[in-house]
Amino acid sequence: MAAVKVNELHKEDLPWIIEYDESKCIQCGKCTAVCSFGAISPCVEMRKKSGGTPEKSELEKVLVVKQNVGFENHCVGCGMCTAVCPNGAIKAVRNLDDRYAIRYRAEKGESLKRGGRSNLNTEGRTLDKIKIGRISQMTDPSLDAIRHTFEIKTPFGRVLSADKLGFDVDGNNIIQSRPLPPNRWVYPVIFGDMSIGAISSRMWEAIAIATAYLNEKVGLPIVMCTGEGGIPVSLLKSRYLKYMILQIASGHFGWNRIIETMPEMVEDPAGILIKIGQGAKPGDGGLLMANKVSQYVQEIRGVPKADLMSPPTHQGLYSIEESVQKMFLSMNAAFNFRVPVAIKVAASVTSVSVYNNLLRDPYNIVGGFFIDGFAGGTGAAHEISLNHTGHPITSKVRDCYLAAVHQGRQGEIPLFAGGGLGQTGSFAADAFKLICLGANGVFTGRHLLQIAGCCGNDTEKCNACSTGNCPAGIASQKACLTKRLDVDKVAENIVNYMIATDIELRKLMAPVGCSTLPVGRSDALITVDRHIAQRLDIQYSI
Amino acid sequence: MERIETLNNENRMSTQELLQLIQSKIDGGCTEFEINACGQHNIGGSSWAKDKNKTLRFVLKNPGQRVGAMGMKGTSIVVEGSVPADTGWLNSGSEIVVKGDCGDTAAHCAASGEIYVGGRVGARSGALMKHDPKFKLPEFWVLKNTGSFSFEFMGGGVAVICGYGCEDLKSVLGERSCVGMVGGTVYVRGAVENVASCVEILPLAQSDIDFLTSGMERFLSKIDRSELKKELTNWSEWHKIQPVAVKTKQQRMSIKEFRETEWIEGGIFGEFINDDFSVNVLAGTGESRCRIPEWNKELCVGCNICVKNCPQKAISSDYVSDSEKCIGCGICAALCPKSAWSMVDNNKEITK
Repeated sequence: MAAVKVNELHKEDLPWIIEYDESKCIQCGKCTAVCSFGAISPCVEMRKKSGGTPEKSELEKVLVVKQNVGFENHCVGCGMCTAVCPNGAIKAVRNLDDRYAIRYRAEKGESLKRGGRSNLNTEGRTLDKIKIGRISQMTDPSLDAIRHTFEIKTPFGRVLSADKLGFDVDGNNIIQSRPLPPNRWVYPVIFGDMSIGAISSRMWEAIAIATAYLNEKVGLPIVMCTGEGGIPVSLLKSRYLKYMILQIASGHFGWNRIIETMPEMVEDPAGILIKIGQGAKPGDGGLLMANKVSQYVQEIRGVPKADLMSPPTHQGLYSIEESVQKMFLSMNAAFNFRVPVAIKVAASVTSVSVYNNLLRDPYNIVGGFFIDGFAGGTGAAHEISLNHTGHPITSKVRDCYLAAVHQGRQGEIPLFAGGGLGQTGSFAADAFKLICLGANGVFTGRHLLQIAGCCGNDTEKCNACSTGNCPAGIASQKACLTKRLDVDKVAENIVNYMIATDIELRKLMAPVGCSTLPVGRSDALITVDRHIAQRLDIQYSI
Repeated sequence: MERIETLNNENRMSTQELLQLIQSKIDGGCTEFEINACGQHNIGGSSWAKDKNKTLRFVLKNPGQRVGAMGMKGTSIVVEGSVPADTGWLNSGSEIVVKGDCGDTAAHCAASGEIYVGGRVGARSGALMKHDPKFKLPEFWVLKNTGSFSFEFMGGGVAVICGYGCEDLKSVLGERSCVGMVGGTVYVRGAVENVASCVEILPLAQSDIDFLTSGMERFLSKIDRSELKKELTNWSEWHKIQPVAVKTKQQRMSIKEFRETEWIEGGIFGEFINDDFSVNVLAGTGESRCRIPEWNKELCVGCNICVKNCPQKAISSDYVSDSEKCIGCGICAALCPKSAWSMVDNNKEITK
């Protein structure tokens, strides 16, 4: 038997401990077969035969399931072993005395990286402390949520105030003397923006199929942001491009294909989203670990198999303002000013300054402001960024909205809020509350993965998106795992979820008496938390 | 016969004064009233004759809202002219004849009795009509048309909208009629547009024609328009509206069919990878395995422990692991005393 030393990694150091009940096990091998992390293996244990004495005992070999102990193959608590075990003989149990993070840093001299989102502060979300308190049925007659006609759409694109619309009088006719900025009316929930590579081909395609289906078969005009990991040419050439918001981030991955395909496009894209930052890891560019940079990801991104760390800023610039101007102008020009161009930033103390600057831009080329809160998800990030950097979404949306209100310019640059929506199970309620606080719409990515069957959560379960071993086939490029994902089922689940969300949004709009989106209707909200009431300027109720 | 004048020079009798006066007369045995009203509400409602075999009769001019509201069996009301809103609200058995038009929400919640209108009725008329089978079917006859949102949430009873003189209207039922209707029947003559999706517009059956034939004569005589019988009984101009018989959930195309027939052929990643979209089961065989056993002939001593203990019976007597059976559990590698079996990660990427 090998000697054990105290400074080695031990089972007791790991975040999850496998509980194995030998008496229930039939040695079918399914648990060890299914584990994509190699965290458990069949193993022969030497046991003392019964009936012997201490002086004279015989050993026998017993086949058991053993937990492996290693930095690369430890259990992440995904639960697949439990799912396949016919007898409930095995499960992963959270180790309260976990020392893994300390041991990893001490051993590797590297920062911890993982996927998922912040594993701190999952309790006490601001949105959960807000209620829709203005439902009286007397002062605001309630609408019939099921049978009333609702118009649940939001503008995506720059909206001009009446005096800037550029109409002139020519004799008896009104003529439009200046072009109007492009605008789309879209559903106030935008899918996105997860790149090809970060998620599997099947997961990405399932979201795209669900988007097309929701538009064409259900009548919900949902658009999907592509993320920045390249886009297949077949999609760029298809009529479905009109449901896609193309993303450009600091890596500029795949844009050569987009540019080359322009002459063959039969539709304009829904929009373009310039990603400056991400709520889950503000200050960082995109991160895709080499183990997920598979052959087709290399092709579509035009890079070799390597860790792909996009820079934190768009390169080739001298100042932030110049960068923003260059990006906006170029992206507007790319489709000859027919496609709205929006920007996505991580929520920050300075979000309002940025929003104010964009509002004052005399060229009106900013068609949307996406603010991503710190509870947003990511496929890979330094854990220290995930857990300790960022800014909550709620107050930032409110601040930006009120800043616009003070200038009489609310709604001119539509505000979209994201980051941790649906985290506690009520996606439609989160969306509704953010809209009442001033958002024109919301965006969601991580939640789509949970709909698809992601087994991770925000209390350190799984979060292994960066390893390439995603047991659900969502965030892996390995064939054996990707093919676990049922494209049709995932798309169907997303479609169903959005239909349910639409019903639930109406269920909240109706009693407040709104048949259109209640953007900025903060009078509909109350909170029992005085600090929240004060900060968001909503009614304090006890 | 009791005649009541409700305006005395400049003094108007209040609703309360009028209704209490009527009640005192009824208590005295009076059953017939002729009232020259002045907008007083609720005339003719919730009253009954002292002698239950007699009918309470009201002939009204110029009444206010809710004529005959909560009207009871054994009450008959005739209005010479038009009335404002809520005529026959909660009618529970009385017969109400309005020779002119009715305002909004006529026959609202009517549950029994008959309401005959010689003109048009306003918005939300017939809303929430219902029928308790232990009582007489409520009927609501209208010579002309209804305003918008008519028959919302209707649960039972019969309405007959004759569309007389409404040839120029786009819909004799107004906009968005029958929203939330779950029961009852609306017969209608003339154009109908934009009714709720929960109802269907059907041709008349013989039983419908029989019902309308007998009822039409009675209706027209009540409103003194018997001369219209021929014009209104061309049954080819009529339809009936009823809730969709069995509420079948609208069938959407399946995602699989959408993907296979409308979506980009071969999937959007077809230029890079071959994907047949088949789904691996967990702990499956072949290429769905996370790890694949490899046998090293040099190390094997032929003890057969692996062959005997493989849970999938995947290892042949000459130590070939059958990929169609093997799930990659690693028991062969764990048990082999000479480490002749080893497990190799299946890191194949999804490719062409």
